[in-house]
Amino acid sequence: MVSTWFSAPAPVTRRVRAYFAPVNRSTQTPELFDPSQQGCFNLEAPPAPWIDLGWIQGFARKPASKSTSLLTGIPAAPLEQARETLETQVSLQFLNWTKLTMALATDSQHMNLLTPASAAAPSACGAEALPAVNPQSGSTSTSIQLASADAARFAAGSIIAVDVDYAGQTGYVGSPIAGAFVRQALADVDYIRRVTFNVALVSQVNATGLVLAQPLPGGAPAVGSKLQAIVGFVDREGGSFYQEWSGLFVSQGSQGERIFFHYPRLQTMAGTEEAISPLNQKHQNGQSRILLKGQFLALPVTDPLDGERVVCYRSFLPAAHALV
Amino acid sequence: MQNAKDSFYMALRARLTTINPERTILMRGAVRPGILVEEAEAPVSQLPTDVFVLRWLALGADLDLDSTMVATQCELIYQTCGTQSFGGLDRGRALSQMDEEVLAMIHPFYTPKLNYAATPPAAMLTQVFWDEPEFAPITIQRDRLSRTATTIVYSYQEQGE
Repeated sequence: MVSTWFSAPAPVTRRVRAYFAPVNRSTQTPELFDPSQQGCFNLEAPPAPWIDLGWIQGFARKPASKSTSLLTGIPAAPLEQARETLETQVSLQFLNWTKLTMALATDSQHMNLLTPASAAAPSACGAEALPAVNPQSGSTSTSIQLASADAARFAAGSIIAVDVDYAGQTGYVGSPIAGAFVRQALADVDYIRRVTFNVALVSQVNATGLVLAQPLPGGAPAVGSKLQAIVGFVDREGGSFYQEWSGLFVSQGSQGERIFFHYPRLQTMAGTEEAISPLNQKHQNGQSRILLKGQFLALPVTDPLDGERVVCYRSFLPAAHALV
Repeated sequence: MQNAKDSFYMALRARLTTINPERTILMRGAVRPGILVEEAEAPVSQLPTDVFVLRWLALGADLDLDSTMVATQCELIYQTCGTQSFGGLDRGRALSQMDEEVLAMIHPFYTPKLNYAATPPAAMLTQVFWDEPEFAPITIQRDRLSRTATTIVYSYQEQGE
């Protein structure tokens, strides 16, 4: 008789994959992940707006919630338990350096180093920048239409930042992802493009504009957006801004089963720190990889299902034909 | 565990035909993909060149699980003398190409388990999976370069196996 089920032991996995999605800071709305509808997604192509940050290592969850016992009787014995505090921490190491992984591994705003103007005065966060250019109509998330004179200012291999001019506003700035919180009006018209997450690599330049190697996280440039080249990134230790993102971590087992750890609200909680990983374990003083360390504090959300406050959802999709 | 060994071999064989369809071997009058299982062929004093030879070695089992896990060590042996048209001077390049084909063949690190004793092969319930390969240093014998890549192939024993 042909068997139609098997008894699955504990999942066997090789690694963990990380996805992050922006929290709307103005409305404090996190991104939700529904494993019943989205759990079978292609790990290489997560559902929008989740951003794939690739495989990670050192993924660790550290519950720090405390419970207290309600004692009764003589001698006192626990009658009930009550949750005293709700807290959990997540730590991991990113295996690549990108705009987003750097931002997630710092506890302040993360900035773009705009290409400096000629003879600009030095500044630790990047000097006064070359003037921004205006995208033309017809631009998309992967192709920026420009006047030919503007296009000539860029080259294949450039990195660009696309966002609106700073106009003296306060509060969260950067679209569609808040890159900073402005407490008092600033003078830098390029400030939003300094903190925006709307960046991409240019793969080709032609007379009509730029072709991007990756889509802009914010999609097609919004009305009023401008474009500037950037040379890299900078973050600071200190400051008052905390990155906040929704996090999703996936482990796929050897039998196709999946474990999801979904944190609706993760705030960075530690200063910038790197981990050194020698490429050859037998040659500790040789070439080493520098890994970005991310440490996060999970903040609670109220589950509309029953009004409970929670910090993490752990989901499990069993392997096909496995006993449950 | 024979089903796991067969499934692993057939997965690599199918992947090789996509990665490099020109890597073939003439065996018993038939042209086949250039990968074979040593224990399923006639003994030879010298392994063929420019094909992959799969050799099964150690065996282990974890009997404490609900489904017994079997781990089998697999060695993939490959060697080349380069091509005649270059007088063998391209043997290093030829071995590098085989290294790359091994890396491509073993990914992804799992395949469905099938029972190849049945015709047509019958799908089973679990998957066979394996580790990243460990590459040994090149061995040089005159004009022959050879290397082995070793991995552990895991599978769960199903009812009836």
